[in-house]
Amino acid sequence: MLLVALVACVAAIVPGPRWPRIWLACMVVGTGSILAAAVAVFAGAPDWEWWSAVRVGGERLHLRLDGLSAWFMALLGLVGGLGAIYARGYWPDDAHADSAARGRLWWGVMILSMGFVLLSSNGLHFLIAWELFALSGFFLITLDRQRREIRAAGWLYLAASHAGTLCLFAFFAALAGRTGSWELGPMRAHPELGPLFWLAFAGFAVKAGLFPLHIWLPSAHANAPSHVSALMSGVAIKMGVYGLIRFSGWLPTPAAVGWTITGIGAATALLGIALALAQNDLKRLLAYCSVENVGIIAVGLGGGLLGAADGDAGWGRLLLAGALLHVWNHGLFKALLFFAAGSVLHATGTREMSRLGGLWRSMPWTAVLFTIGAMAVSGLPPLNGFVSEWMIYLGLFDVVAGRSPAAWAAMPAVLMLALAGALALAAFVKAGAVVFLGAPRTRVAAEAHECGGSMRGAMVVLAAGCLAIGLAPAVFWPAAGRAVAAWNPPWAAGAPPAPLPTLGLANAVLVTLALAAGAGLWASARARGLRRSLTWDCGYASPAARMQYTGGAMAAIAVGWFGWIFGAERRQRRPRGPFPAGAHRIERMPEAVLERLIGPVAGAVMQVAGAARQLQHGRLQYYLVYLAGGLTALGTLVLVGEMK
Amino acid sequence: MNSTLNLLIGLAMGLNLLALGSSRLPSVIRAMAVQGVVLGMLPVVITREFHWPVALVALVTMGVKGFGIPALLRRAMRAANIEREIEPFIGFVPSLLLGAIGTIAAVAVAQRLPLLPEHAGTLLVPGALATIFTGFVLLVGRVKAISQVCGYLIMENGIYLFGMLLLHSTPLLVESGILLDLTVGVFVIGIIVDRIQRAFDSLDTRKLTVLRE
Repeated sequence: MLLVALVACVAAIVPGPRWPRIWLACMVVGTGSILAAAVAVFAGAPDWEWWSAVRVGGERLHLRLDGLSAWFMALLGLVGGLGAIYARGYWPDDAHADSAARGRLWWGVMILSMGFVLLSSNGLHFLIAWELFALSGFFLITLDRQRREIRAAGWLYLAASHAGTLCLFAFFAALAGRTGSWELGPMRAHPELGPLFWLAFAGFAVKAGLFPLHIWLPSAHANAPSHVSALMSGVAIKMGVYGLIRFSGWLPTPAAVGWTITGIGAATALLGIALALAQNDLKRLLAYCSVENVGIIAVGLGGGLLGAADGDAGWGRLLLAGALLHVWNHGLFKALLFFAAGSVLHATGTREMSRLGGLWRSMPWTAVLFTIGAMAVSGLPPLNGFVSEWMIYLGLFDVVAGRSPAAWAAMPAVLMLALAGALALAAFVKAGAVVFLGAPRTRVAAEAHECGGSMRGAMVVLAAGCLAIGLAPAVFWPAAGRAVAAWNPPWAAGAPPAPLPTLGLANAVLVTLALAAGAGLWASARARGLRRSLTWDCGYASPAARMQYTGGAMAAIAVGWFGWIFGAERRQRRPRGPFPAGAHRIERMPEAVLERLIGPVAGAVMQVAGAARQLQHGRLQYYLVYLAGGLTALGTLVLVGEMK
Repeated sequence: MNSTLNLLIGLAMGLNLLALGSSRLPSVIRAMAVQGVVLGMLPVVITREFHWPVALVALVTMGVKGFGIPALLRRAMRAANIEREIEPFIGFVPSLLLGAIGTIAAVAVAQRLPLLPEHAGTLLVPGALATIFTGFVLLVGRVKAISQVCGYLIMENGIYLFGMLLLHSTPLLVESGILLDLTVGVFVIGIIVDRIQRAFDSLDTRKLTVLRE
């Protein structure tokens, strides 16, 4: 199955740039077989391991598909394939003559390299695949490279990504140095390897976008083409999560790791969603929301680590399974949301929410699908986000009830997750309301049109996936159980620790009730007829679209709570006198970590480097003086050494 | 024997100062050429007994350093049409002072170096150090490319003096090889000087900064 995937992906890369149809067919076959391989593992096929006969870089290729890899492979196959379909409508050849071909090429490379990252069980090849994956991400982000802010976002991504890769290089090299081989596998029996995990943690946390290391994420996700954003957000940052889960499972972890991951995860969730709430750019909002969701996943993983250290299988298993399920769920609904945002961008040409509005009438499909995604991401039943967040909450409650030391981590985490959940709902109410409800704020919003069939199809599949996990979570339990068992074999034993079937039933009842209520309303409206009139307008004579609530106004209160950390920049002129001439108020939300912390440090480094560059002026005589000075210094050193 | 050796090396050190102090290119070249001849005699003096190969090498050295290379340089000078070093980085009097300080420092340093007993009484090491230092001052302090070539050659003379220390262990064939390299180097530099002159209408090496990056 994987061979088919490999052949199809390579086949897609080679002729892909020239023939879009062949590329799409190959891509669908390739990603479909990736998905099928993963499903085969879930269906009970044994773990698959393979060593190549030939050596690459002096090492034999070692691929391994176990429950955990398969879990992420499934997500890769689904989002990768749907993104390819979506790209056909979103980034067609006639609108983007040269970049569409490049996009197809790098899409294939990216899927292939991510697959290798997931399968590779040799440190050297893992690094090669990881680097290729990071590079193809860069080329996909900068597809539309004419625009300056896109190039800037691409460079920022590349720099951050390489900072992370540097840590990974150190990690794998040190690991290979201590074990004597590049081969990876379970090594829990060697406690002396434990401290190395911190290196891996730093490297993978950059990719996953955990809080202080998330700096590259918002601009990269916002500026990339939407299908790329969906892949980056849905799958690529999950590679970081995969690394964290994978190596925390293989390596013996220091005791502090569980606490650290839980703490950072909770902080990431809260700050990520608070920042999301403050955004005016629709895709940037979604990007910050990805930061939040990675935080939730990290809380689950940290809880799992604490559980493994504590020896109590119950809640640790529940938390880890919740984290894994949230990986899937976030992949599904965030891809859906980015597709919907891309559809809005495609129709109107802007991501600024303050220029949109009233799109529900012109884009009903997109609006409904966005709402489904927004409900899922806010963790509302009956959709999938609720299921995984519920599992994490249940696990955390168990921890608190169990009164183990881990409760000190779980209690604040519960509170912060609850706050983050409420803010997520607020953020998506804001986004949905400003973009789709009300009246169009500008002409582009008024002239919007619905997206094409391929884009709509991809979104419908994702929405169906969200609904399926929400309605029948028990069906997906065996797969999650397999992945958990791959992480920690003692937790392999059977039944789901949470009443998942009951939850599915409750969700189904909820859907039925909602449908019945909707049908009832529809029938009564049909029977009695609808009366259309103005909303009460305080007696104001000529209401205009500009008088609607803005997104900033909706979020102002909640953003104010976090003012101490964002430090919003404001410029305003208040209206004065009885007949004010003009007034304005401009607010900008700085990227706090990037602009206040990393910017100045990088600036200082550049200044020193610039000063050092003065030495390189091209005057021969001075070079000779340097040389003479260096020689004299060396000579003196030797002489002094001799005398001693 | 040692007194002859020291006399010759002292002469070479005096020529260093002459090269540093003169502004006219022909006299710098002449100083360098005479220094080459003086140094060329050294192998014969050091080996005490007369050997044919040594005498041959000494003869060739004198020929190349005293006549061949200076002739090449004079030709380049005529081709580039320059007579004087007009605006040095380090003026002539400061250069002289630097050279004098360098010479004293070389003698002082050489006394502290752990030398073999047979070299301790000679001026070989201080002379070599002082000559190399002079070459450096010329390289750094002069603007015209030809003056710099002279500086380079004087520095090479210093290295040659150091080589004299190893005369008993280094085959003279190696010395001849170095000499050949040097000739080729000067030959190439002569061509480059011509090219610089044509490209920049001047031999001022400061103008070469436009070539950076």
